Amino acid sequence: MDLTGGYNPRRARLLIELKTENLYHIPAVCNQCENAYCMNVCPSKAIQRNDDGIVCIDPDKCISCGLCAQFCPIGMVTLDPDTQKAVKCELCQGEPLCVEVCPTFALELVYRGNINE
Amino acid sequence: MSSAYTNKLLMIDLSRESFETLPVSNDLKKDFIGGKGFGAKLLYDMVLPETDPLGKDNVLMFMTGPLTGTMAPAMRGCVVTKSPLTGIFLDSYFGGSFAPEIKYAGYDGLIIKGQAKKPVYIWINDDTVEIRDAWHLWGTDTLKANEQIKTELNDDTIKIASIGQAGENQVLFALVCCEYNRQAGRGGAGAVMGSKNLKAIAIKGSKLVSIHDPKRFTKACATAFKELEASPDVEAFRVAGTAASVDFANETGLLPHKNYQNGTFSKASKLADKGQARHLWLGSAACMGCPIRCSKIGAIRSGKYKGTITDIIEYESAALMGSNLDISDIRAVAHLTKLCDLYGMDSMSCGNLIGFAMEACEKGVIPSPQGISLCFGNIDAAEYLVHAIANRTGELGMLLSKGVKQASEEIGITAIDLAVHAKGLESPAWGPRGVSGMGLAYMTTDRGGCHQRGFTVTYELSGEWKGAPLDPLSPKGKARMVIALQNYSAGRDTLVNCDFGSYGISDDTYAELLSAATGQKTDPATLVETGERIWNLVRCFNLAQGLDPKKDTLAPRFVNEPLPDGPSKGHRISAEDMDYMRQEYYQLRGWDKKGIPLDKRLNQLRIAYAGHHK
Ligand code: SF4
Ligand code: SF4
Repeated sequence: MDLTGGYNPRRARLLIELKTENLYHIPAVCNQCENAYCMNVCPSKAIQRNDDGIVCIDPDKCISCGLCAQFCPIGMVTLDPDTQKAVKCELCQGEPLCVEVCPTFALELVYRGNINE
Repeated sequence: MSSAYTNKLLMIDLSRESFETLPVSNDLKKDFIGGKGFGAKLLYDMVLPETDPLGKDNVLMFMTGPLTGTMAPAMRGCVVTKSPLTGIFLDSYFGGSFAPEIKYAGYDGLIIKGQAKKPVYIWINDDTVEIRDAWHLWGTDTLKANEQIKTELNDDTIKIASIGQAGENQVLFALVCCEYNRQAGRGGAGAVMGSKNLKAIAIKGSKLVSIHDPKRFTKACATAFKELEASPDVEAFRVAGTAASVDFANETGLLPHKNYQNGTFSKASKLADKGQARHLWLGSAACMGCPIRCSKIGAIRSGKYKGTITDIIEYESAALMGSNLDISDIRAVAHLTKLCDLYGMDSMSCGNLIGFAMEACEKGVIPSPQGISLCFGNIDAAEYLVHAIANRTGELGMLLSKGVKQASEEIGITAIDLAVHAKGLESPAWGPRGVSGMGLAYMTTDRGGCHQRGFTVTYELSGEWKGAPLDPLSPKGKARMVIALQNYSAGRDTLVNCDFGSYGISDDTYAELLSAATGQKTDPATLVETGERIWNLVRCFNLAQGLDPKKDTLAPRFVNEPLPDGPSKGHRISAEDMDYMRQEYYQLRGWDKKGIPLDKRLNQLRIAYAGHHK
C-alpha cells in the first residue's frame, strides 16, 4: 500500500506460491544473492549492491529490458506495470513495511551471519 | 476522489458474445453499499417475473464488497442469481482469492447474461475480455478445469471460478468452485452457469485497489486485527475451524441423525475436530487476506481412500454427509465431500438428499437401485448416489438431481413427509426443534432453508437476547431477535465480510473501515438499515417471482414429530407455534397478515417502487 498507493498482491515484493491443491504454501523472498543473477545480467548497470549488502535497482539507469526479471531464479524481480521499471525487494531501507504490517507476525527481518559468531 | 470502489461493473452477454462496462451510480452505493446489496438491486431490476432460472434471461452475478481486495481482514465475494432450485432469490458466498481478483482487474462485480451456443469460458485480463472455446474442458471436474486453464494460458497465478460435471448437467444444487476450492455452494448457481454453457471464468488483474484515506484505513485495519486476536471465538476457529461444532450440536441435541429423525449421534465425536485432526489435517490455510485461517488442509492417510487431499470437513458437511447418514468414519465423509467438490455440487443438499433416499428406501417408499442396499450407514450406497446424482444416471439419480422438494413431490405424499427443506432449499445441519427461533429463521430466510441469515442458536441456548430472558422452546419473543439478526446479516453481506470475522471485529470498526476506504460516512446503524432495505426488496422480488407466502413454513418432520432425544426431547414446533411466530414476525417487519410488505415500510426504506403485490 505505502509502496504503490493501493492494494494488489501481484505488486508485492514477496510471493507465496500455492501448490498441490493448496496443501503447500511456499513463500519466496529475495535472497539478496551473493552471486546475484539479476545484477549480473543487467546491461545498464542499474542493479548494484549497496553498503549493507542489499541488491538495489536505480530506476534512472534501468532501461526496462526485463532481463533481470527473466533470470532471477525465484521470480523476485518484476517490471512495474505503471512505470515499466524493474522493481524488487530492497528491504525498505532496513525497516520493511511488510514486517510492520503483517497481522500474524509471520515475517521478521534477520541478518545472515556466520553460524559460529 | 480515490475510493475502494472501482466504480465499474463488467457485463458480459454470452448470446451476443459482447461485453460492456456499466458505471456504478452514487445512489446504488449509498442505498446498497455492495455485495448482496448490489446483487439484490440488480437482480430486482434485471430479472422479470417468470424468468426461467436456467434460461438465457437469468443473470449470474459475482459481486465484491467495497473492502474486498484491501487489507481489511476476511472480505469475500458473493454470487447472486435466481435459483433453479427454489425459483427465488439466491445469494451464495465464497472465500478464497477470486473476489479480490475481480477488483484488481478493475471491477466491482461481473454480470453474466445470455447463453453461449457451445461450451465456453471467459478470460478477463484487466480490460481485455475474451470468450474462449471450452469444448475440451467440458466433462472435467472443478479442479481439473482450473488446472487445465492455467496450463493453457500459461500462468499459474490466474484466478478461476469453474463448474464441474454437476453444473454441466444442471443438477439443481450444483455449485461454483472459486479459486481455490472455495465454494459458492448453495442453491444451484453452478446449474445456472452450466445452463449458460459457461465452464469457467478466469481472471487476472494488475490494477490497484486504492483507499480514500490510507492513514485512517491502516489504523482501522490495525484495530480490526487487534480485536480478532483478542476474541476467544476467533481463536477457536483458528484451532479447529467449524469442526468443533459437531460435538456442540450433539450435546445440544441439534445434530441431524438419520435424515433429521434424531438430534444426537453416539459416534459424533469421531466426526469432530479431534477425529479430523488425527485422520486428515496437516496444516492451516486461509482465504486471501484473512488472519483467522479457519481452514485445515491435509490428506486422508489410511484406509480405502488413502492419499486423497482434503480440506477441513466443515460442520455442515460432517453432519449432513456423516451423522445424518449414520456414517461415523471421517475418512469416508471426507471422500464423499471431496467427490461433491470435484463434481461441483453442494455437499449439504447432497447429504440431505441421500439421507432422504435412505429413509424412503428403509420405509419402503422407494425401491433400492439394483445391486445396492440403500440404507443408513452404507458408505458405498452413499457414494453410488453421489455419482448417480452428479451424472444424472439411473431413475433415482435423475430424480434426486432435482432437489428434495421436487423429488419428494414426484414420488408422492408419503415422501413429502420425509423431505426436509424450506422453500426448496435443503435444510442445513441445525435441527430447529430445540431452538424455535432457528425454526422461524428457516421459515423466513430470503433464499429458503438457511442458517446463515439469522443464527439464533447461541443466543437461544444462553437463554438471553439483548438482556431479556428467552426460552429456547417457546415461540414468544423470537421474531424480534430473528429480524434483528437478519437485518444485521444482510447489512454485513454488503461488505461481504466473512461471518467469522464479525466474531472478533466490532460494529464500529467495520463502519470505520468502510468510511475510511470509501469516503462515504457510515455508522453501524446505517449498515443495519441497509440490511432491512435489502431484506424487504428481496421479499418483494420473491413475491413477484411467484413465491407463495404460505411457504413461510417448516418441514413436516419438525412440525409433527417430537424430537426423540437430547436435552429438548419431546419438543416440536407445532402449527400453532409457527403461526404465532409468523404473525409476530410479519407485524414487526411492517408486513401485512399475509406476509406482504406494506407500502408504508417500503416508503421509509426508499424502495416504494417495489410495492403493490396485492
Ligand atoms: S532478485 Fe533474485 S537474483 Fe536478484 S538478488 Fe534477489 S533473489 Fe537474487
Ligand atoms: S530491466 Fe532494468 S534493472 Fe532489469 S536488467 Fe533491464 S535495465 Fe537492468
